[in-house]
Amino acid sequence: MRRTLVCILVAVVVVSQAALVCAQTKGTPLVSSPPLLRPGKLIMAINATIPPVQYIDDKGNLRGMRVELGDEIARRLNLEANWVNIQFEAMIPGLQGSRWDMINTGLFYTEERAKIMSLVPYELQAISVSVPKGNPHKVKSTEDMAGKVVAVEVAGYEERNIKAINQEQVARGLRPMDIRTFNTFADCYQALKAGQVEAVVSVDATGKYYQDRGDFERAIFGLKGSPASLAFKSRELAETVAKILNDMKQDGFYDKLFDRWGVAKIYGWEKWTGSFKIH
Amino acid sequence: MKGWDWSSFLEYLVSFYLLEGVWVTIWLTAASLLIGLVCGLIAALLRMSKSPILQMPARLYTWVWRGTPLLVQLIILYTGLPQIGIKLSVVQCSLIGLGVNEGAYLSEIIRAGIMSVDRGQFNAARALGMNYRVMMRRIILPQASRIIVPDLGNRFNGLLKFSSLASVISLEELMRRAQMLTQVKFAVLEIFIVASIYYLALTTIWGVAQAHIEEYFERGYSQKNSRRTKTLARTE
Repeated sequence: MRRTLVCILVAVVVVSQAALVCAQTKGTPLVSSPPLLRPGKLIMAINATIPPVQYIDDKGNLRGMRVELGDEIARRLNLEANWVNIQFEAMIPGLQGSRWDMINTGLFYTEERAKIMSLVPYELQAISVSVPKGNPHKVKSTEDMAGKVVAVEVAGYEERNIKAINQEQVARGLRPMDIRTFNTFADCYQALKAGQVEAVVSVDATGKYYQDRGDFERAIFGLKGSPASLAFKSRELAETVAKILNDMKQDGFYDKLFDRWGVAKIYGWEKWTGSFKIH
Repeated sequence: MKGWDWSSFLEYLVSFYLLEGVWVTIWLTAASLLIGLVCGLIAALLRMSKSPILQMPARLYTWVWRGTPLLVQLIILYTGLPQIGIKLSVVQCSLIGLGVNEGAYLSEIIRAGIMSVDRGQFNAARALGMNYRVMMRRIILPQASRIIVPDLGNRFNGLLKFSSLASVISLEELMRRAQMLTQVKFAVLEIFIVASIYYLALTTIWGVAQAHIEEYFERGYSQKNSRRTKTLARTE
């Protein structure tokens, strides 16, 4: 009797271990740690406050085109996708401080950023200006924003550029904008909804989303276009992910994803060479 | 690893852009404390009245404003109230938010100070024919101040740092200015150490001022230098 029990116990242990081994070999991570911060996990930083590219739905789930892209990249590398939802100004220092493997928040490509991180451009983005429904102040160009109260997210590409546009306009004699900075775009849009500001400077995809939904109108779009990029501290990881993006382009996943969400593909960028790589 | 950059640190230490933020922090804190003192004094006096009808608003005020986070109060003021038609500016929201919140805490501190004054003082003042207003102004509050000042100083110290919450509704005080500077060179450690140094300088200066204010209210209490003690020493 005792011998039978022991045999059964051994069999259970062996089978369960075999099952575990099978599960592991089926999805052996294609990237080791290092360069990953934690083995088997792809830690990505995102600021989920700008639908449709990244947002939290009313059930509290992370949603959006960039979330799907990130999840698919992790899946193809047999890694577990770990998302860190944090405000933008913490992301670049966090990447440099090895808190996450990748920034997946539509980081605009700039020469200075390319000097301190490995950037893989993958999406065309530009700056938009959202105004209340009906465009009560008849904003058609940045000149119409002179003297208005404008909200923008702190410490990002949009803030820097709207301030540059403002300075240039003031030099030409126009009234200065009152540029108010907030922690996230969600805070900016809340301020717009409350009538505390007259315009929000954000990105094309988000401006269009709110216009389609009927909340706000997109008065201006296509400003200071630059490709949105995935950012990495590790060059090796950046090259691996670029390769995955090329696979996605090959098998049509990239095109289908972008078409479904209505976001502009990278192909229109003047520096596009035909394949994804570190720029 | 980027490492510490001394030249960036020194550059930010004398940055006019940050100093403007320091100035905003200073006036915001001072103005909020004044508003808080007014609210707190009124609430403390109401709370100590014999009539429950007068006590009610004071109890309600301290209960609600001490029971909810300052951050939530600021967001309601700036982004929530416009929904029901009340639109206040960023500065108004910051002052009201910080001031009224502080008042709720100060009312309890002031009440404790008044309660600490000997019953005999109240009786003597009444016996001398003083009405409530004269009694409070000339006799009770000056004595209560001795007890109120240390805690009040503590609150002012805290308010200097809580003022940074106004950055959430876009006020450009020191914290927000520091955040905005990080995007230039990403010298995060250097910038926030500089900001911390400024906060420390402000709280230290206040500490010195507080010590002097405490010394002023200590007159007549301290045995060491009081006139009575000196007179006694001379006659012995």
